[in-house]
Amino acid sequence: MIVFENVEYVYPNGFKALRGVNLEIESGEIVALMGENGAGKTTLLKHLNGLLKPFSGRVLVDGVDTRRTTVASLSRKVGIVFQNAEEMFFSPTIYEEIAFALNNFRYPEDIIQKRVGWALKFMELEEYRDKSPFLLSGGEKKRLALAIILAWSPEVVALDEPTVGQDILQKEKMIQIIRQANQQGKTIIISSHDVEFIADIKPRIILMSKGRIVKDGPAEEVLTDIPLLQECSLLPPQIVSLTSRLDFLGIRPKLAGPEEIAVEIARRLK
Amino acid sequence: MSTILRGLQFYPGKTVIHKLDPRVKLVISLLLMMTAAIYLEVTIITIVVAVEALLSIIAKVFSRWARTVYGAAPLIILVFLLNVLFKLSMPGQSLGFQSIYEALQLAYRLVAFLASFSIFFLTTTPEELGMALTKMKVPYMYTFAFISAIRFTPILAEELQSIIDAQKSRGLELEKGNMITRLRRYIPILIPLMVNVLRRSYELAEAIEVKCFGAKKNRTYLRELKMTKRDLTVLSISITLFTLAIYVKLFVKLNIP
Repeated sequence: MIVFENVEYVYPNGFKALRGVNLEIESGEIVALMGENGAGKTTLLKHLNGLLKPFSGRVLVDGVDTRRTTVASLSRKVGIVFQNAEEMFFSPTIYEEIAFALNNFRYPEDIIQKRVGWALKFMELEEYRDKSPFLLSGGEKKRLALAIILAWSPEVVALDEPTVGQDILQKEKMIQIIRQANQQGKTIIISSHDVEFIADIKPRIILMSKGRIVKDGPAEEVLTDIPLLQECSLLPPQIVSLTSRLDFLGIRPKLAGPEEIAVEIARRLK
Repeated sequence: MSTILRGLQFYPGKTVIHKLDPRVKLVISLLLMMTAAIYLEVTIITIVVAVEALLSIIAKVFSRWARTVYGAAPLIILVFLLNVLFKLSMPGQSLGFQSIYEALQLAYRLVAFLASFSIFFLTTTPEELGMALTKMKVPYMYTFAFISAIRFTPILAEELQSIIDAQKSRGLELEKGNMITRLRRYIPILIPLMVNVLRRSYELAEAIEVKCFGAKKNRTYLRELKMTKRDLTVLSISITLFTLAIYVKLFVKLNIP
């Protein structure tokens, strides 16, 4: 469980990124952090493994204050896939790239082999095992970035803008991977302003604006609150835009699949 | 690291120093450095540093300037130690007061150099520097390379931080171990940094080629540099002072440390 208690954070240049954040994330949840650029999403993520320590207030990961421990030990519990994680590769082969963290965490060699093999298979990267990470395509690099984190099986997986620069196919794959990892009991925290992507996952949404949490609730509730989304510089998902214009048929703004809406429209028009 | 960089980055202001012609500022900085180069006496170097401090106070950038000098302390100590070692390695030398004092003089001179750089870059935008160099008939291609290097330093510093963050999140511990293992730990940080720098320079090259970089030999500017009366006065004062410094060096026998 992760707890934020009145967390404030100010960057050295004076920018107040978090202004009193209170938050509880249970294990096994899928949570999406949404909000405009500069709302504080990435800053919040960096607090999860102690890369940033709160200016005031505190962050507890399974009851441990992040100020009292190291980034390395917190990282075993919380794996963060950064937005530009594909710019951080350095190993000659993909195998070594994934094994790097496992070596840092001092896993025995046979376990490392098993874990890397599993991660490569899970992310469908087996055929590239001995290739250079720099030769992968954009989507494959993104998957490698995820494989690197999932290899040591952290309880919490945090993803910073996982869909930037990804095509529809990759996004669908990403959703599958997120669901699978969640079914294996992992807590997933996604920072994103890709509303369609989040609407497909339907997680608990934490809406942020200017360093504060402005709304915390299920996707069905947050993503249908059009005025609130506009306040946070987010467009509602297309299906919500559509249903919000169907007032004359007696349909309320709603987050549902297109088939369901089509059936409902047909029924009302009869 | 970032404090030094901040002291070498333009800091906007409306002071007399900011408004000076960049060529004059360049000349003043070079003259100050040359003064520090021809003298080794601690007293004279102190005077040079004091003049630089005064300039930074007039330009209202003193705290940033001071932090740069302070932040460079590790580098200066390294130069000092290297000099001591070098002196010791020469035949017939032993570690005495004289050799330590000489190493100290050389390290101190570096402070004057760095301080002079800092005051110049704190009060001059990269564009102004570019215009100054173009006026001085430096080919624009070289000027551009130099300006972009200055421009990209802060971005590089930011990128370095995000790489460190990412690798720390993968369990990399930079603080532990002895000197050699510590250096080895920097490999996962330096390789991505270098790869990104190369990639960015290719991208920049393509981007400027698309915008017809180098299509015309002579470049024109919206705002042309012009020497004013004030610029000329400041320039002549500094040249006079420098001439005095050379005169004293050549013909006056100084009896100061």
